[in-house]
Amino acid sequence: MDLIQILVNGLSVGAVYGLFALGYTLVFSVLGVINFAHGAVFTLGAYFTYLLIGGAVGANGLLAGFQLPIALPFWGALPLAGLGAALVALLVERVAFRPLRRRRADPLLALITSLGAGVILVNLIQLLVGAESYAIPTGALGGLPASFPLLGARVRTVQALLLGIALLLLALLSLWLEGSRNGKGLQAVAEDPETAQLLGIDSTAMVRLAFGLSGFLAGVAGGLVGLSVSIAGPYFGIGYGLKGLAVLVLGGLGSVPGAVLGGLIVGLAEAFVPADWSGWKDAVSYGFLFLVLLLRPRGLLGRPLPTKV
Amino acid sequence: MDAALLEQMLLGALLALSVYLPLRCGQLSLATPGFYAVGGYVAALLSTGVPAFAGSGATSPLPALLAEMALAGALAGLIALAIGGPVLRLRGIYLAIATIALVEILRVLNLNMPFTGGAMGIFGIPQPFEHAGGYVLFTLALLALACWLCQWLEALRLGRAMAAIRDDELAAASVGIDTPRTKLIAFVASAVLAGVTGALAAHFLNSWNARAGSFDASITTLAFVVFGGSRLWPGPVLGGLVLTALPELLRPVGDLRLILFGAVILLGPLFFPQGLVTAERLRWLGTLLGRGRHRDRRAPLTP
Amino acid sequence: MSPSPDGTAPVPLLQVEAISCRFGGLLALDRVSLELAEGEIFGLIGPNGAGKTTLFNVISGLTSPSGGRCLWRGVPTAGLGACGLNRLGIARTFQNLRLFESLSVQENVLVGLHHAARAPLLWALLGNGAFHRHQGRLGAQAMELLTLLGLEALAEQRAGDLAYGDRRRLEIARALATAPRLLLLDEPAAGMNPAEKDDLRQLIGRIRDHFALTVLIIEHHVPLMMRLCDRLAVLNFGQRIALGSPDEVRRDPRVIAAYLGGSGGGSGGGSSGGQGSADGDGR
Repeated sequence: MDLIQILVNGLSVGAVYGLFALGYTLVFSVLGVINFAHGAVFTLGAYFTYLLIGGAVGANGLLAGFQLPIALPFWGALPLAGLGAALVALLVERVAFRPLRRRRADPLLALITSLGAGVILVNLIQLLVGAESYAIPTGALGGLPASFPLLGARVRTVQALLLGIALLLLALLSLWLEGSRNGKGLQAVAEDPETAQLLGIDSTAMVRLAFGLSGFLAGVAGGLVGLSVSIAGPYFGIGYGLKGLAVLVLGGLGSVPGAVLGGLIVGLAEAFVPADWSGWKDAVSYGFLFLVLLLRPRGLLGRPLPTKV
Repeated sequence: MDAALLEQMLLGALLALSVYLPLRCGQLSLATPGFYAVGGYVAALLSTGVPAFAGSGATSPLPALLAEMALAGALAGLIALAIGGPVLRLRGIYLAIATIALVEILRVLNLNMPFTGGAMGIFGIPQPFEHAGGYVLFTLALLALACWLCQWLEALRLGRAMAAIRDDELAAASVGIDTPRTKLIAFVASAVLAGVTGALAAHFLNSWNARAGSFDASITTLAFVVFGGSRLWPGPVLGGLVLTALPELLRPVGDLRLILFGAVILLGPLFFPQGLVTAERLRWLGTLLGRGRHRDRRAPLTP
Repeated sequence: MSPSPDGTAPVPLLQVEAISCRFGGLLALDRVSLELAEGEIFGLIGPNGAGKTTLFNVISGLTSPSGGRCLWRGVPTAGLGACGLNRLGIARTFQNLRLFESLSVQENVLVGLHHAARAPLLWALLGNGAFHRHQGRLGAQAMELLTLLGLEALAEQRAGDLAYGDRRRLEIARALATAPRLLLLDEPAAGMNPAEKDDLRQLIGRIRDHFALTVLIIEHHVPLMMRLCDRLAVLNFGQRIALGSPDEVRRDPRVIAAYLGGSGGGSGGGSSGGQGSADGDGR
């Protein structure tokens, strides 16, 4: 495989990791915890996309044979799937995070409650649509060619799309964070929730906003992976969830550009693992993560860790 | 209840204690399944590949099992000792993520080493006990030993130092507690316990593969401790027993069982933020049981 | 005082040599020097933000200075860390109280007795008589300290449930349990009423005599410091602006200027007038 192909592969996979980690980082920045239900929300986004383009449920779930009466083009299905995933993320916040916050319980407990929410979601998917894998046909893209030439290599259209959409969403998110009232409010809450509250910022609303956004990004990422690879059963988000953690730490917990940069780095690094060594591919990102934690715990673009005396 | 389920519950309780030990000094380490997997491979490799450990045919002698457990514990402890220094400088969620990464790295290693049998793993691990009942008795003895050690820890200065670090690491250092060393001791003890448990589990399960140490297992074992209570050792033991049994006991509800299991994990911390076992509830139980008896000598249990 | 090897001048217990501390753009300490002689009660005063607590953090090993060094009986202490410095003989309390809140009052002191508590592990595992006697001795030692601080009746309470003044005294008891030669007290009188402050002053004197300690104390209440301390240093904006006996410090024009509007003459109480909030601001 030539260099261009490897680069495009790595960057497109990295873009998905980045989108995934963005969701982690948004929630982490306002609550200081990891949302372990994030992988399940991502998975749901993929299934939503599949259903919205008119895909039919297989023979094994309770919904066997079910098919939506509409068949949207991929372009319409993806944002709607993102919205659906955002609603689910809000529900997760409502049941797994807010009760703990209201009781001022140990934030560590949210690791467990969110995991519980994730377990419920994943098994609910399995119950409804079965454990088989689904593929989103590239035909859903309409008339686009399956691949196009770039600098002498052939690049799959799907991969270019993945990269383009991820970068577009990052740009929009950055603009929104810097330029809008809510975006600044979110940053203020991330900086110091108590002061933000004193300034009249509704931190509960900001937490909800962070979850909604994170769910949307995860849903879109899920749809994109469903298109470019496949939906490999209800558990397929877990692997991405773990990679997302590595990316999150690499880029710096709470850093938005860091999440994307981390994603691209991990994606590229994995793409350069030779095929004979593909079994070791997973170790690359965790090895990276481990090294970063030991050498520079705040990550590439993270803020210095607070020291308390 | 069948003996096989009981054995799994006891193994769950041992793993929960392994997560509890670092947590007792405030360190959220999720490395337990990694060490558990390593321990299992040690036993699986020795008893299937080394004649001295293999015994005759399908059975293996008890002394071989004990030796494998000792070696498994030692290897896990050595790995923990080697990486503990730098890793334990990390705090809170950073430590948790680092230990998740460690588990994943160990999993990839276990999957790809030339001698670990790849994704299939290792089969036909000989049995030191003819029936599951033998495993239950043996594991019960091991669990009792682990609990006894945890109980003694409460009375030792090491136990107090750990509790002090959990409450305020900085203040603990400034009253002369060697905090890195204390945290390392807890981390290594946790690894040894997980390694020993893995060696036992490999025999019981008869086969071993890299799935033994996965991310899911990390979070599940943490759930044992959070569910049961992270302050006193009876908490993780109870949590390990109950949450291991739960998916099996829920079998009658069929496809809903894992959904219900998730609901229990979700709702447990909401209704019992301190876990099921707290000092107050233990005292209450003590007075309930101890009425008419002399005072129980387990007084140091109260924190 | 311990004489130096050649027998001429005594080596000070602690020397603080030109310590500087920079946090980002803020110079919290600017080449501050002090010497503590064995057995004295030394006061550190100055307005809020003058760098007093930062200096404590440097001396007790919680913060590394960006310049300068500390010497303990003439030996540099760099790199020892909080634990190592405590084992050398430096114990401290914290301005914003850092007790082990989930432990009982007695257990807090027992943690302080940490290195005194070393018993052979074998005893502990056997649970034999020697171990129980050892545990008993430790318990008695802890109770002795609690009695000295007037906390004996609260021994079984959870430290997190204590009243504010009791917490302050428990921190002192915990620090004393580590058998220090130098005790650093960070605003021990904060939040106390005048009667309690007077009790505290006597208590600190008693502790010094009983344990033959050296005491370094930060306190806003200037009259208390004037009566309690053998010597005083005044910090302002990270610099040491005065050093000497309470009388000398009281008359120092730079101190008067730092404590805006102080009458300068009269009592130290007058000079603290400009710090109107100083007494009550501890919490």
